[in-house]
Amino acid sequence: MRPVRALLAAFTLLSVAACGGEAEREVGLAGIVRTPAPVVADVTLPEVTNGMHDEFAFRAEPGGLLVTYFGYTTCPDVCPTTMADLRNAVRQLDEDDADAIDVAFATVDPDRDTDAATTAYIHAFFPDGHALRTEDPNELARAADAFGAVYSVEENDEGYIEVEHSAFLYAIDDEGKILLSWPFGIEPDLIANDLRILMEEEST
Amino acid sequence: MIRPIRLMAAVLALGLVAAACGGDDAGVNVTDGWARTSAGMQNAGAAYMQIEGGDTADRLVAASVPSDVAGMAQIHESSMNDEGVMSMSEVEGGVEIPAGATVAFEPGGFHVMMMNLAAPLEAGQEFTVTLTFENAGEVEVPVEVREG
Repeated sequence: MRPVRALLAAFTLLSVAACGGEAEREVGLAGIVRTPAPVVADVTLPEVTNGMHDEFAFRAEPGGLLVTYFGYTTCPDVCPTTMADLRNAVRQLDEDDADAIDVAFATVDPDRDTDAATTAYIHAFFPDGHALRTEDPNELARAADAFGAVYSVEENDEGYIEVEHSAFLYAIDDEGKILLSWPFGIEPDLIANDLRILMEEEST
Repeated sequence: MIRPIRLMAAVLALGLVAAACGGDDAGVNVTDGWARTSAGMQNAGAAYMQIEGGDTADRLVAASVPSDVAGMAQIHESSMNDEGVMSMSEVEGGVEIPAGATVAFEPGGFHVMMMNLAAPLEAGQEFTVTLTFENAGEVEVPVEVREG
């Protein structure tokens, strides 16, 4: 068993444990349910998509879902795998569900990721996706902290930039509540299944 | 008539030469080379493959790609801690390929990190990654770019 898979199994157990009395309702969810659900409705980051400069609030459109990721565009392995997995999951949904899902990518490496690079990155996976970028380290830290996300960008001894970051996808509802977090490595089929369950709950 | 001892020496010598040249009997077998399309202006990429060990253990010590693909390639490993935080670093001292075992280079684990991409990686494109093993020498791996 690869370490990532083993961790996933542990995460799944945690999420089951976290459901407690509500276990029955949550059966079938592969992502992690945190209780109480963190609320990120009051958190904003600048949206820089296609030259925009608006404050982007972390809440979905009414009845929809917002999926958010903190990453960086020069990430060769984990970030593109995660975004491709999410894309492959959304492609499995029926059109109404897929249309109700918005995706935002926040860069943790604004020194290297320009507005244009961040936009081009998210648009390669989701043509209507939101590129979020701030040059204010405190603003980025506050936003990430609300999600429980951590990151560091440091130059190593050889002069290369090494980035560490929480590699979760977060599903947020229209009240800004984080309903579910997916750690790296969850299969697209399982993400799709979770999205269907969440959309079903959002529409009732 | 060749005396048995001479024959044995000849066979041994041939075997040694074959092993040293990394010919047909390279020991390792590398399959399923692929890389994901690059996203937007993404200037780094990763190549993945399955490396099957031969009859004896070997060690992957280096990787390279043509300069019209990327400026530099290194063997990297992504790893996740128990908080779900991912980090990635160059593998020091190479990757052991145990005899008879398959080492997967796959998303979220070992990969050939390609830095300073010369051009975007487009679906359907093919290129060669050259892996250097301690015993098997250089092995050329065909890599196909796909959306993944």
